[in-house]
Amino acid sequence: MALKIIESCVNCWACEPLCPNQAIYEAKPHFLIDAKKCTECEGEFADAQCASICPIEGAILDALDEALNPPGSLTGIPPERMAEAMAELQAH
Amino acid sequence: MELKVLGQAEPEAPKGGCSAGSCGSTDDQLSHLPEDIREKVHNHPCYSEEAHHYFARMHVAVAPACNIQCHYCNRKYDCANESRPGVVSELLTPDQAVKKTMAVAANIPQMTVLGIAGPGDPLANPERTFATFRALSEQAPDIKLCVSTNGLALPASVDELAKHNIDHVTITINCVDPEVGAKIYPWIFWNNRRIKGKKGAKILIEQQQKGLEMLVERGILVKVNSVMIPGVNDEHLKEVSRIVKQKGAFLHNVMPLIAEAEHGTFYGVMGQRGPKSSELQALQDDCAGDMNMMRHCRQCRADAVGLLGEDRGAEFTMDKIEDMEIDYTAAMEKRAQVHAAIEQELAAKQAKPQAPALVPLESLGGGSKPRPVLMAVATTGGGVINQHFGHAREFLVYEASAEGVRFIGHRKVDLYCSGGDTCGDGESVLGGIINTLEGCEAVLCAKIGYEPWEMLEEAGIQPNGEHAMEPIEDAVMAVYSEMLEMGKLDAKTDDQETQATA
Ligand code: SF4
Ligand code: SF4
Ligand code: SF4
Repeated sequence: MALKIIESCVNCWACEPLCPNQAIYEAKPHFLIDAKKCTECEGEFADAQCASICPIEGAILDALDEALNPPGSLTGIPPERMAEAMAELQAH
Repeated sequence: MELKVLGQAEPEAPKGGCSAGSCGSTDDQLSHLPEDIREKVHNHPCYSEEAHHYFARMHVAVAPACNIQCHYCNRKYDCANESRPGVVSELLTPDQAVKKTMAVAANIPQMTVLGIAGPGDPLANPERTFATFRALSEQAPDIKLCVSTNGLALPASVDELAKHNIDHVTITINCVDPEVGAKIYPWIFWNNRRIKGKKGAKILIEQQQKGLEMLVERGILVKVNSVMIPGVNDEHLKEVSRIVKQKGAFLHNVMPLIAEAEHGTFYGVMGQRGPKSSELQALQDDCAGDMNMMRHCRQCRADAVGLLGEDRGAEFTMDKIEDMEIDYTAAMEKRAQVHAAIEQELAAKQAKPQAPALVPLESLGGGSKPRPVLMAVATTGGGVINQHFGHAREFLVYEASAEGVRFIGHRKVDLYCSGGDTCGDGESVLGGIINTLEGCEAVLCAKIGYEPWEMLEEAGIQPNGEHAMEPIEDAVMAVYSEMLEMGKLDAKTDDQETQATA
Protein backbone atom coordinates (compact mmCIF):
# COMPACT_ATOMS: atom_id res chain seq x y z
CA MET A 1 0.00 0.00 0.00
CA ALA A 2 1.46 3.24 -1.07
CA LEU A 3 0.51 6.52 -2.66
CA LYS A 4 2.11 7.83 -5.81
CA ILE A 5 2.93 11.31 -7.13
CA ILE A 6 2.54 11.80 -10.87
CA GLU A 7 3.71 14.36 -13.40
CA SER A 8 1.14 17.03 -12.66
CA CYS A 9 3.00 17.71 -9.40
CA VAL A 10 4.39 21.26 -9.40
CA ASN A 11 7.17 20.62 -6.87
CA CYS A 12 5.70 22.99 -4.35
CA TRP A 13 7.22 21.29 -1.31
CA ALA A 14 3.99 21.39 0.68
CA CYS A 15 3.78 17.63 1.19
CA GLU A 16 7.41 16.80 1.87
CA PRO A 17 7.81 18.03 5.44
CA LEU A 18 4.47 16.55 6.50
CA CYS A 19 5.11 12.91 5.72
CA PRO A 20 5.45 11.02 9.00
CA ASN A 21 7.68 8.45 7.34
CA GLN A 22 9.95 10.66 5.25
CA ALA A 23 8.66 8.79 2.24
CA ILE A 24 8.48 11.86 0.00
CA TYR A 25 11.59 13.13 -1.70
CA GLU A 26 12.53 15.89 -4.08
CA ALA A 27 13.24 14.48 -7.52
CA LYS A 28 13.30 15.61 -11.13
CA PRO A 29 11.04 16.40 -12.85
CA HIS A 30 8.71 16.07 -9.87
CA PHE A 31 8.57 14.86 -6.28
CA LEU A 32 8.26 11.15 -5.64
CA ILE A 33 7.05 8.79 -2.94
CA ASP A 34 9.18 5.89 -1.82
CA ALA A 35 6.65 3.04 -1.94
CA LYS A 36 8.57 1.06 0.64
CA LYS A 37 8.25 3.80 3.22
CA CYS A 38 4.72 5.07 2.55
CA THR A 39 2.09 3.66 4.88
CA GLU A 40 -0.71 5.84 3.49
CA CYS A 41 -0.42 7.43 6.91
CA GLU A 42 -2.39 4.59 8.43
CA GLY A 43 -2.32 4.55 12.19
CA GLU A 44 -0.69 7.96 12.17
CA PHE A 45 -3.25 10.35 10.75
CA ALA A 46 -6.87 10.13 9.76
CA ASP A 47 -6.04 11.47 6.29
CA ALA A 48 -3.00 10.89 4.09
CA GLN A 49 -0.96 13.98 4.83
CA CYS A 50 0.49 14.54 1.38
CA ALA A 51 -2.91 14.33 -0.28
CA SER A 52 -4.45 16.62 2.33
CA ILE A 53 -2.23 19.58 1.53
CA CYS A 54 -1.41 19.01 -2.14
CA PRO A 55 -2.89 21.95 -4.10
CA ILE A 56 -2.91 20.15 -7.43
CA GLU A 57 -5.92 18.08 -8.41
CA GLY A 58 -4.89 14.66 -9.66
CA ALA A 59 -1.22 14.83 -8.64
CA ILE A 60 -1.45 12.12 -6.00
CA LEU A 61 -2.88 8.67 -6.76
CA ASP A 62 -3.79 5.82 -4.47
CA ALA A 63 -2.78 2.17 -4.93
CA LEU A 64 -5.60 1.75 -7.47
CA ASP A 65 -4.34 4.71 -9.50
CA GLU A 66 -7.29 6.82 -8.50
CA ALA A 67 -6.75 10.51 -7.81
CA LEU A 68 -7.11 11.38 -4.15
CA ASN A 69 -8.04 14.88 -5.18
CA PRO A 70 -10.16 14.37 -8.31
CA PRO A 71 -10.91 17.20 -10.75
CA GLY A 72 -13.04 19.90 -9.18
CA SER A 73 -12.42 18.76 -5.64
CA LEU A 74 -9.97 21.49 -4.72
CA THR A 75 -11.64 24.45 -6.36
CA GLY A 76 -14.78 23.40 -4.50
CA ILE A 77 -16.80 23.25 -7.68
CA PRO A 78 -17.60 19.96 -9.40
CA PRO A 79 -16.82 20.15 -13.11
CA GLU A 80 -20.46 19.85 -14.14
CA ARG A 81 -21.24 23.02 -12.23
CA MET A 82 -18.45 25.02 -13.87
CA ALA A 83 -20.64 26.62 -16.52
CA GLU A 84 -23.29 27.63 -14.03
CA ALA A 85 -20.78 29.06 -11.59
CA MET A 86 -19.10 30.98 -14.36
CA ALA A 87 -22.34 32.66 -15.34
CA GLU A 88 -22.96 33.58 -11.72
CA LEU A 89 -19.54 35.15 -11.32
CA GLN A 90 -19.74 37.05 -14.55
CA ALA A 91 -23.08 38.51 -13.60
CA HIS A 92 -21.59 41.10 -11.25
CA MET B 1 2.83 47.92 24.02
CA GLU B 2 0.02 49.74 22.30
CA LEU B 3 0.79 51.06 18.88
CA LYS B 4 -0.28 54.59 18.28
CA VAL B 5 -2.55 54.73 15.36
CA LEU B 6 -3.46 58.19 14.27
CA GLY B 7 -6.55 59.40 16.01
CA GLN B 8 -7.18 55.99 17.45
CA ALA B 9 -9.32 57.26 20.29
CA GLU B 10 -12.48 56.60 18.32
CA PRO B 11 -13.10 52.90 17.94
CA GLU B 12 -15.28 53.76 14.97
CA ALA B 13 -12.98 54.83 12.17
CA PRO B 14 -14.19 58.00 10.54
CA LYS B 15 -14.98 57.44 6.93
CA GLY B 16 -14.19 59.46 3.92
CA GLY B 17 -10.82 60.32 2.51
CA CYS B 18 -9.32 63.56 3.57
CA SER B 19 -11.57 64.29 6.52
CA ALA B 20 -9.28 62.67 9.04
CA GLY B 21 -6.19 64.22 7.56
CA SER B 22 -4.98 60.93 6.28
CA CYS B 23 -4.51 62.04 2.71
CA GLY B 24 -1.85 64.32 1.48
CA SER B 25 1.75 63.73 2.20
CA THR B 26 2.86 60.84 4.28
CA ASP B 27 5.44 63.08 5.90
CA ASP B 28 2.72 64.77 7.85
CA GLN B 29 1.58 61.47 9.17
CA LEU B 30 5.04 60.29 10.02
CA SER B 31 5.64 63.41 12.01
CA HIS B 32 2.74 62.49 14.29
CA LEU B 33 4.21 59.15 15.14
CA PRO B 34 6.25 58.36 18.22
CA GLU B 35 9.98 58.35 17.61
CA ASP B 36 10.43 54.58 17.87
CA ILE B 37 7.84 53.97 15.18
CA ARG B 38 9.18 56.68 12.93
CA GLU B 39 12.52 54.97 13.23
CA LYS B 40 10.94 51.76 11.95
CA VAL B 41 9.19 53.23 8.95
CA HIS B 42 11.16 56.21 7.71
CA ASN B 43 13.34 54.18 5.34
CA HIS B 44 10.97 51.33 4.56
CA PRO B 45 9.77 51.73 1.00
CA CYS B 46 6.45 50.02 1.66
CA TYR B 47 5.62 51.75 4.92
CA SER B 48 6.58 55.25 3.90
CA GLU B 49 5.35 56.74 0.67
CA GLU B 50 8.23 59.21 0.75
CA ALA B 51 10.84 56.52 1.33
CA HIS B 52 9.81 54.47 -1.66
CA HIS B 53 11.32 56.99 -4.06
CA TYR B 54 14.73 56.55 -2.47
CA PHE B 55 15.07 53.22 -0.71
CA ALA B 56 15.00 49.78 -2.26
CA ARG B 57 13.81 46.40 -1.06
CA MET B 58 14.22 42.85 -2.18
CA HIS B 59 12.41 39.60 -1.71
CA VAL B 60 14.01 36.18 -1.56
CA ALA B 61 11.94 33.25 -2.75
CA VAL B 62 12.72 30.60 -0.15
CA ALA B 63 9.22 29.59 0.87
CA PRO B 64 7.45 27.41 -1.72
CA ALA B 65 4.85 25.54 0.33
CA CYS B 66 1.46 26.98 1.11
CA ASN B 67 -1.13 25.91 3.64
CA ILE B 68 -4.24 27.44 2.09
CA GLN B 69 -5.72 27.90 -1.36
CA CYS B 70 -6.87 31.28 -2.63
CA HIS B 71 -9.10 31.62 -5.67
CA TYR B 72 -6.78 34.28 -7.10
CA CYS B 73 -3.73 32.08 -6.95
CA ASN B 74 -2.73 29.26 -9.22
CA ARG B 75 0.05 27.19 -7.77
CA LYS B 76 1.09 26.03 -11.20
CA TYR B 77 1.96 29.45 -12.52
CA ASP B 78 3.06 32.82 -11.43
CA CYS B 79 0.44 34.11 -9.01
CA ALA B 80 -0.60 37.49 -10.26
CA ASN B 81 -1.67 38.92 -6.91
CA GLU B 82 0.26 37.42 -4.14
CA SER B 83 3.78 37.99 -5.29
CA ARG B 84 4.84 34.62 -6.49
CA PRO B 85 7.67 33.90 -8.86
CA GLY B 86 6.83 32.13 -12.07
CA VAL B 87 7.95 28.69 -12.98
CA VAL B 88 11.14 30.14 -14.43
CA SER B 89 12.18 31.98 -11.30
CA GLU B 90 14.60 30.40 -8.94
CA LEU B 91 13.56 28.88 -5.67
CA LEU B 92 16.40 29.51 -3.25
CA THR B 93 17.76 27.57 -0.35
CA PRO B 94 18.35 29.65 2.78
CA ASP B 95 22.11 29.66 2.04
CA GLN B 96 21.54 30.90 -1.48
CA ALA B 97 19.10 33.50 -0.22
CA VAL B 98 21.67 34.88 2.20
CA LYS B 99 24.24 35.00 -0.56
CA LYS B 100 21.87 36.77 -2.89
CA THR B 101 20.85 39.29 -0.25
CA MET B 102 24.46 40.16 0.47
CA ALA B 103 25.21 40.51 -3.25
CA VAL B 104 22.23 42.75 -3.88
CA ALA B 105 22.85 44.85 -0.78
CA ALA B 106 26.42 45.38 -1.97
CA ASN B 107 25.37 46.38 -5.48
CA ILE B 108 22.29 48.39 -4.63
CA PRO B 109 23.34 50.35 -1.56
CA GLN B 110 19.90 52.00 -1.37
CA MET B 111 18.58 48.66 -0.17
CA THR B 112 17.15 48.77 3.34
CA VAL B 113 14.66 45.93 3.50
CA LEU B 114 14.74 42.19 2.90
CA GLY B 115 11.40 40.48 2.79
CA ILE B 116 10.23 36.93 2.47
CA ALA B 117 6.93 36.81 0.66
CA GLY B 118 6.70 33.33 -0.78
CA PRO B 119 6.22 32.04 -3.39
CA GLY B 120 4.03 30.07 -0.99
CA ASP B 121 3.45 31.19 2.57
CA PRO B 122 6.67 31.95 4.48
CA LEU B 123 5.22 30.69 7.75
CA ALA B 124 4.17 27.43 6.14
CA ASN B 125 7.91 26.94 5.54
CA PRO B 126 9.16 27.91 8.97
CA GLU B 127 12.51 26.17 8.76
CA ARG B 128 13.57 27.76 5.49
CA THR B 129 12.18 31.16 6.42
CA PHE B 130 13.72 31.34 9.87
CA ALA B 131 17.06 29.93 8.78
CA THR B 132 17.27 32.81 6.31
CA PHE B 133 16.30 35.42 8.91
CA ARG B 134 18.68 34.00 11.47
CA ALA B 135 21.67 34.18 9.15
CA LEU B 136 20.81 37.63 7.88
CA SER B 137 20.24 39.21 11.25
CA GLU B 138 23.79 38.12 12.08
CA GLN B 139 25.51 38.94 8.81
CA ALA B 140 23.69 42.05 7.67
CA PRO B 141 22.40 43.65 10.87
CA ASP B 142 21.66 46.94 9.10
CA ILE B 143 19.05 45.37 6.82
CA LYS B 144 15.48 45.37 8.05
CA LEU B 145 13.69 42.04 7.82
CA CYS B 146 10.05 41.59 7.06
CA VAL B 147 7.65 38.86 6.12
CA SER B 148 4.27 38.48 4.42
CA THR B 149 1.82 35.80 5.41
CA ASN B 150 -1.71 34.59 4.91
CA GLY B 151 -1.90 34.45 8.70
CA LEU B 152 -2.93 30.83 9.20
CA ALA B 153 0.31 29.85 10.95
CA LEU B 154 0.91 33.30 12.39
CA PRO B 155 -0.07 32.88 16.07
CA ALA B 156 2.26 29.91 16.28
CA SER B 157 5.12 31.91 14.75
CA VAL B 158 4.87 35.25 16.53
CA ASP B 159 7.42 34.47 19.22
CA GLU B 160 9.92 33.18 16.74
CA LEU B 161 9.39 36.28 14.58
CA ALA B 162 9.94 38.57 17.53
CA LYS B 163 13.18 36.76 18.27
CA HIS B 164 14.58 37.60 14.87
CA ASN B 165 14.06 41.23 15.36
CA ILE B 166 11.46 41.59 12.67
CA ASP B 167 9.90 45.03 12.70
CA HIS B 168 7.29 44.54 10.00
CA VAL B 169 4.78 41.87 9.14
CA THR B 170 2.24 41.93 6.33
CA ILE B 171 -0.92 39.85 6.72
CA THR B 172 -3.23 39.36 3.78
CA ILE B 173 -6.73 39.72 5.17
CA ASN B 174 -9.52 39.64 2.63
CA CYS B 175 -12.45 39.13 4.96
CA VAL B 176 -13.62 38.91 8.53
CA ASP B 177 -16.79 36.98 7.71
CA PRO B 178 -16.58 33.25 6.95
CA GLU B 179 -19.45 33.56 4.45
CA VAL B 180 -17.33 35.91 2.38
CA GLY B 181 -14.23 33.87 3.15
CA ALA B 182 -15.74 30.72 1.68
CA LYS B 183 -16.01 32.55 -1.67
CA ILE B 184 -12.30 33.38 -1.61
CA TYR B 185 -10.66 30.38 0.05
CA PRO B 186 -11.81 26.94 -1.09
CA TRP B 187 -9.77 25.15 1.59
CA ILE B 188 -7.12 25.39 4.26
CA PHE B 189 -4.81 22.79 5.77
CA TRP B 190 -5.24 22.78 9.51
CA ASN B 191 -4.41 20.28 12.25
CA ASN B 192 -3.38 17.65 9.71
CA ARG B 193 -6.47 17.80 7.55
CA ARG B 194 -7.88 19.68 4.65
CA ILE B 195 -10.83 21.77 5.77
CA LYS B 196 -13.10 23.18 3.11
CA GLY B 197 -15.57 26.00 2.77
CA LYS B 198 -16.92 28.18 5.55
CA LYS B 199 -15.40 26.06 8.28
CA GLY B 200 -11.92 26.50 6.85
CA ALA B 201 -12.42 30.20 6.24
CA LYS B 202 -13.56 30.66 9.84
CA ILE B 203 -10.38 29.10 11.20
CA LEU B 204 -8.25 31.21 8.87
CA ILE B 205 -10.00 34.40 9.94
CA GLU B 206 -9.59 33.55 13.64
CA GLN B 207 -5.90 32.88 13.22
CA GLN B 208 -5.36 36.07 11.23
CA GLN B 209 -7.07 38.23 13.83
CA LYS B 210 -5.30 36.52 16.70
CA GLY B 211 -1.96 36.90 14.93
CA LEU B 212 -2.62 40.59 14.31
CA GLU B 213 -3.38 41.16 17.98
CA MET B 214 -0.29 39.28 19.11
CA LEU B 215 1.99 41.26 16.80
CA VAL B 216 0.54 44.59 17.89
CA GLU B 217 1.02 43.58 21.52
CA ARG B 218 4.69 43.01 20.83
CA GLY B 219 5.16 46.32 19.08
CA ILE B 220 5.67 44.82 15.63
CA LEU B 221 4.23 46.97 12.87
CA VAL B 222 1.52 45.28 10.86
CA LYS B 223 0.48 46.08 7.34
CA VAL B 224 -2.74 44.49 6.16
CA ASN B 225 -3.04 43.66 2.48
CA SER B 226 -6.48 43.08 1.03
CA VAL B 227 -7.33 42.02 -2.49
CA MET B 228 -10.37 43.86 -3.80
CA ILE B 229 -12.64 41.38 -5.57
CA PRO B 230 -15.67 43.11 -7.10
CA GLY B 231 -18.93 41.53 -6.05
CA VAL B 232 -17.20 39.28 -3.53
CA ASN B 233 -15.54 41.39 -0.85
CA ASP B 234 -15.49 44.97 -2.13
CA GLU B 235 -18.18 46.29 0.20
CA HIS B 236 -16.98 44.03 2.99
CA LEU B 237 -13.45 45.47 2.90
CA LYS B 238 -14.65 48.66 4.59
CA GLU B 239 -15.55 46.53 7.59
CA VAL B 240 -12.21 44.73 7.36
CA SER B 241 -10.41 48.05 7.30
CA ARG B 242 -12.32 49.34 10.30
CA ILE B 243 -11.59 46.24 12.36
CA VAL B 244 -7.91 45.94 11.58
CA LYS B 245 -7.34 49.62 12.30
CA GLN B 246 -9.16 49.27 15.57
CA LYS B 247 -6.86 46.41 16.48
CA GLY B 248 -3.81 48.53 15.79
CA ALA B 249 -2.71 47.65 12.28
CA PHE B 250 -0.44 50.37 11.02
CA LEU B 251 -1.19 50.47 7.33
CA HIS B 252 -3.91 49.13 5.06
CA ASN B 253 -3.12 48.26 1.49
CA VAL B 254 -6.13 47.55 -0.71
CA MET B 255 -4.91 46.01 -3.94
CA PRO B 256 -6.85 45.25 -7.10
CA LEU B 257 -7.61 41.65 -8.02
CA ILE B 258 -5.65 40.60 -11.07
CA ALA B 259 -7.54 37.82 -12.79
CA GLU B 260 -6.64 37.13 -16.38
CA ALA B 261 -7.93 33.87 -17.79
CA GLU B 262 -4.42 32.94 -18.91
CA HIS B 263 -3.13 32.99 -15.35
CA GLY B 264 -5.24 29.91 -14.83
CA THR B 265 -6.52 31.02 -11.46
CA PHE B 266 -10.02 30.07 -10.41
CA TYR B 267 -11.18 33.68 -10.70
CA GLY B 268 -9.37 34.10 -14.00
CA VAL B 269 -10.95 31.01 -15.52
CA MET B 270 -14.37 31.87 -14.16
CA GLY B 271 -14.35 35.35 -15.62
CA GLN B 272 -14.34 37.21 -12.31
CA ARG B 273 -13.26 40.73 -13.19
CA GLY B 274 -10.82 42.94 -11.34
CA PRO B 275 -11.77 46.45 -10.20
CA LYS B 276 -11.37 49.52 -12.39
CA SER B 277 -8.89 52.13 -11.24
CA SER B 278 -11.75 54.40 -10.24
CA GLU B 279 -13.46 51.68 -8.19
CA LEU B 280 -10.23 50.88 -6.40
CA GLN B 281 -9.63 54.52 -5.67
CA ALA B 282 -13.14 54.97 -4.30
CA LEU B 283 -12.76 51.99 -1.99
CA GLN B 284 -9.35 53.18 -0.82
CA ASP B 285 -10.88 56.54 -0.02
CA ASP B 286 -13.73 54.87 1.86
CA CYS B 287 -11.27 52.83 3.88
CA ALA B 288 -9.01 55.78 4.64
CA GLY B 289 -10.04 56.58 8.15
CA ASP B 290 -7.63 57.29 10.92
CA MET B 291 -4.83 55.33 9.34
CA ASN B 292 -2.51 55.48 6.41
CA MET B 293 -3.70 53.78 3.31
CA MET B 294 -0.90 52.44 1.23
CA ARG B 295 -1.33 53.61 -2.32
CA HIS B 296 2.06 52.96 -3.78
CA CYS B 297 2.12 49.17 -3.60
CA ARG B 298 3.35 47.54 -6.78
CA GLN B 299 2.16 43.99 -6.08
CA CYS B 300 5.72 42.79 -6.37
CA ARG B 301 6.83 39.31 -7.14
CA ALA B 302 8.27 37.08 -4.45
CA ASP B 303 11.70 37.59 -6.01
CA ALA B 304 11.56 41.31 -6.80
CA VAL B 305 14.74 43.36 -6.44
CA GLY B 306 15.27 47.12 -6.42
CA LEU B 307 13.15 50.21 -6.00
CA LEU B 308 9.40 49.66 -5.96
CA GLY B 309 8.22 49.76 -9.53
CA GLU B 310 11.48 48.52 -10.99
CA ASP B 311 12.64 44.95 -11.08
CA ARG B 312 16.33 44.23 -11.27
CA GLY B 313 15.91 40.56 -10.43
CA ALA B 314 17.49 39.46 -13.69
CA GLU B 315 20.81 41.02 -12.67
CA PHE B 316 21.02 38.79 -9.64
CA THR B 317 20.30 35.24 -10.71
CA MET B 318 22.22 32.61 -8.78
CA ASP B 319 24.73 31.94 -11.54
CA LYS B 320 25.57 35.64 -11.76
CA ILE B 321 25.93 35.86 -8.02
CA GLU B 322 28.37 32.98 -7.93
CA ASP B 323 30.78 35.11 -9.94
CA MET B 324 30.41 38.26 -7.90
CA GLU B 325 33.15 39.14 -5.49
CA ILE B 326 31.76 40.91 -2.50
CA ASP B 327 33.51 42.63 0.34
CA TYR B 328 30.76 42.58 2.95
CA THR B 329 32.35 44.98 5.38
CA ALA B 330 33.04 47.55 2.69
CA ALA B 331 29.52 47.10 1.35
CA MET B 332 28.01 47.78 4.74
CA GLU B 333 30.05 50.96 5.12
CA LYS B 334 29.02 52.12 1.68
CA ARG B 335 25.42 51.41 2.57
CA ALA B 336 25.69 53.46 5.70
CA GLN B 337 27.08 56.38 3.69
CA VAL B 338 24.45 56.17 0.97
CA HIS B 339 21.66 55.92 3.53
CA ALA B 340 23.01 58.89 5.44
CA ALA B 341 23.14 60.93 2.24
CA ILE B 342 19.53 60.05 1.43
CA GLU B 343 18.45 60.94 4.97
CA GLN B 344 20.16 64.29 4.59
CA GLU B 345 18.46 64.94 1.31
CA LEU B 346 15.10 64.06 2.82
CA ALA B 347 15.74 66.21 5.87
CA ALA B 348 16.74 69.15 3.69
CA LYS B 349 13.59 68.67 1.66
CA GLN B 350 11.48 68.75 4.78
CA ALA B 351 13.28 71.71 6.30
CA LYS B 352 12.76 73.78 3.17
CA PRO B 353 9.73 75.94 3.85
CA GLN B 354 7.10 74.24 1.76
CA ALA B 355 5.37 76.63 -0.54
CA PRO B 356 1.79 76.33 0.56
CA ALA B 357 0.61 73.95 -2.08
CA LEU B 358 -2.88 75.26 -1.75
CA VAL B 359 -4.98 77.40 -3.95
CA PRO B 360 -5.85 80.38 -1.77
CA LEU B 361 -9.55 80.18 -1.23
CA GLU B 362 -9.98 83.95 -1.67
CA SER B 363 -8.92 83.60 -5.27
CA LEU B 364 -11.89 81.41 -5.93
CA GLY B 365 -14.34 84.24 -5.95
CA GLY B 366 -17.50 84.05 -3.96
CA GLY B 367 -18.54 80.79 -5.54
CA SER B 368 -18.09 77.16 -4.78
CA LYS B 369 -14.84 75.26 -4.41
CA PRO B 370 -13.06 74.29 -7.62
CA ARG B 371 -13.49 70.65 -8.47
CA PRO B 372 -10.63 68.21 -7.87
CA VAL B 373 -8.58 67.09 -10.87
CA LEU B 374 -6.57 63.91 -11.45
CA MET B 375 -3.18 64.19 -13.10
CA ALA B 376 -0.72 61.53 -14.17
CA VAL B 377 3.01 61.98 -13.70
CA ALA B 378 5.94 60.23 -15.38
CA THR B 379 8.83 59.80 -13.00
CA THR B 380 11.69 57.44 -12.36
CA GLY B 381 11.76 58.39 -8.70
CA GLY B 382 13.18 61.02 -6.43
CA GLY B 383 9.88 62.88 -6.25
CA VAL B 384 10.50 64.90 -9.42
CA ILE B 385 9.07 64.84 -12.94
CA ASN B 386 11.98 63.37 -14.83
CA GLN B 387 10.73 60.81 -17.32
CA HIS B 388 9.95 60.90 -21.01
CA PHE B 389 6.31 60.02 -21.66
CA GLY B 390 7.33 57.22 -23.98
CA HIS B 391 9.64 55.61 -21.45
CA ALA B 392 7.13 55.42 -18.67
CA ARG B 393 6.01 51.96 -17.65
CA GLU B 394 3.79 53.38 -15.00
CA PHE B 395 2.31 56.73 -14.12
CA LEU B 396 1.78 58.08 -10.66
CA VAL B 397 -1.65 59.59 -10.26
CA TYR B 398 -2.21 62.65 -8.08
CA GLU B 399 -5.33 64.50 -7.18
CA ALA B 400 -5.18 68.28 -6.98
CA SER B 401 -7.96 70.09 -5.16
CA ALA B 402 -8.51 73.14 -3.02
CA GLU B 403 -7.18 71.05 -0.12
CA GLY B 404 -3.84 70.48 -1.82
CA VAL B 405 -2.21 67.63 -3.66
CA ARG B 406 -2.53 64.00 -2.68
CA PHE B 407 -1.09 60.85 -4.08
CA ILE B 408 -3.77 58.51 -5.37
CA GLY B 409 -1.91 55.56 -6.81
CA HIS B 410 0.08 54.29 -9.71
CA ARG B 411 -1.10 52.84 -12.98
CA LYS B 412 0.94 50.42 -14.99
CA VAL B 413 1.10 50.86 -18.73
CA ASP B 414 2.81 49.32 -21.72
CA LEU B 415 2.96 45.67 -20.82
CA TYR B 416 -0.05 45.61 -18.61
CA CYS B 417 -3.46 47.03 -18.44
CA SER B 418 -4.67 47.24 -14.87
CA GLY B 419 -7.34 44.68 -14.20
CA GLY B 420 -10.78 45.51 -15.44
CA ASP B 421 -9.74 48.22 -17.86
CA THR B 422 -10.67 47.23 -21.33
CA CYS B 423 -7.73 47.12 -23.62
CA GLY B 424 -8.71 45.24 -26.71
CA ASP B 425 -6.19 43.42 -28.82
CA GLY B 426 -6.40 45.71 -31.80
CA GLU B 427 -5.46 48.81 -29.89
CA SER B 428 -2.04 50.35 -30.08
CA VAL B 429 0.10 50.60 -26.99
CA LEU B 430 -0.69 54.29 -26.93
CA GLY B 431 -4.39 53.55 -27.02
CA GLY B 432 -3.86 51.24 -24.08
CA ILE B 433 -2.03 53.95 -22.18
CA ILE B 434 -4.80 56.41 -22.83
CA ASN B 435 -7.31 53.89 -21.52
CA THR B 436 -5.23 53.35 -18.44
CA LEU B 437 -5.08 57.07 -17.79
CA GLU B 438 -8.87 57.27 -17.83
CA GLY B 439 -10.06 60.00 -15.51
CA CYS B 440 -6.82 62.00 -15.63
CA GLU B 441 -7.00 65.45 -17.20
CA ALA B 442 -3.28 66.12 -17.59
CA VAL B 443 -0.06 64.17 -17.98
CA LEU B 444 3.09 65.74 -16.61
CA CYS B 445 6.32 64.41 -18.02
CA ALA B 446 9.85 65.52 -18.86
CA LYS B 447 9.25 65.33 -22.60
CA ILE B 448 6.72 63.97 -25.02
CA GLY B 449 6.64 63.30 -28.75
CA TYR B 450 4.32 64.96 -31.24
CA GLU B 451 2.15 61.95 -32.02
CA PRO B 452 1.32 60.94 -28.45
CA TRP B 453 0.77 64.64 -27.69
CA GLU B 454 -1.95 64.84 -30.31
CA MET B 455 -3.60 61.60 -29.33
CA LEU B 456 -3.64 62.52 -25.66
CA GLU B 457 -5.15 65.90 -26.42
CA GLU B 458 -7.77 64.28 -28.55
CA ALA B 459 -8.63 61.99 -25.66
CA GLY B 460 -9.06 64.98 -23.36
CA ILE B 461 -5.80 64.54 -21.48
CA GLN B 462 -3.57 67.60 -21.63
CA PRO B 463 0.12 66.72 -22.01
CA ASN B 464 2.50 69.03 -20.18
CA GLY B 465 6.29 69.03 -20.42
CA GLU B 466 6.84 72.42 -18.86
CA HIS B 467 7.66 71.19 -15.39
CA ALA B 468 10.53 68.85 -16.15
CA MET B 469 12.77 68.22 -13.13
CA GLU B 470 10.42 70.03 -10.78
CA PRO B 471 9.08 68.45 -7.59
CA ILE B 472 5.88 66.60 -8.41
CA GLU B 473 3.57 68.20 -5.88
CA ASP B 474 4.60 71.73 -6.80
CA ALA B 475 4.15 71.07 -10.50
CA VAL B 476 0.75 69.45 -10.03
CA MET B 477 -0.39 72.43 -8.00
CA ALA B 478 0.99 74.85 -10.59
CA VAL B 479 -0.94 73.14 -13.36
CA TYR B 480 -4.04 73.08 -11.18
CA SER B 481 -3.73 76.80 -10.52
CA GLU B 482 -3.38 77.44 -14.26
CA MET B 483 -6.49 75.42 -14.93
CA LEU B 484 -8.26 77.44 -12.28
CA GLU B 485 -7.18 80.74 -13.80
CA MET B 486 -8.31 79.61 -17.20
CA GLY B 487 -11.71 78.92 -15.74
CA LYS B 488 -11.51 75.21 -16.46
CA LEU B 489 -12.39 74.12 -12.99
CA ASP B 490 -15.91 75.31 -12.64
CA ALA B 491 -16.89 73.39 -15.75
CA LYS B 492 -18.69 70.06 -15.52
CA THR B 493 -16.33 67.24 -14.63
CA ASP B 494 -17.40 64.73 -17.20
CA ASP B 495 -17.02 67.05 -20.12
CA GLN B 496 -13.26 66.76 -20.32
CA GLU B 497 -13.22 66.61 -24.08
CA THR B 498 -14.25 70.21 -24.54
CA GLN B 499 -12.08 71.50 -21.73
CA ALA B 500 -8.90 69.99 -22.99
CA THR B 501 -9.30 71.11 -26.54
CA ALA B 502 -10.67 74.50 -25.55
S1 SF4 C 1 0.46 8.94 2.41
FE1 SF4 C 1 1.43 9.55 4.33
S2 SF4 C 1 3.13 8.14 4.48
FE2 SF4 C 1 2.50 8.05 2.37
S3 SF4 C 1 3.76 9.56 1.36
FE3 SF4 C 1 1.86 10.59 1.91
S4 SF4 C 1 2.33 11.53 3.84
FE4 SF4 C 1 3.93 9.98 3.52
S1 SF4 D 1 2.08 18.93 -2.54
FE1 SF4 D 1 1.48 18.08 -4.50
S2 SF4 D 1 2.26 19.50 -6.02
FE2 SF4 D 1 3.30 19.97 -4.10
S3 SF4 D 1 5.17 18.77 -4.19
FE3 SF4 D 1 3.69 17.51 -3.13
S4 SF4 D 1 2.74 16.30 -4.75
FE4 SF4 D 1 3.83 17.94 -5.74
S1 SF4 E 1 4.06 44.00 -2.92
FE1 SF4 E 1 3.54 46.06 -2.17
S2 SF4 E 1 4.00 45.96 -0.02
FE2 SF4 E 1 5.06 44.20 -0.93
S3 SF4 E 1 7.11 44.92 -1.46
FE3 SF4 E 1 5.85 45.30 -3.22
S4 SF4 E 1 5.15 47.39 -2.94
FE4 SF4 E 1 5.87 46.71 -0.96
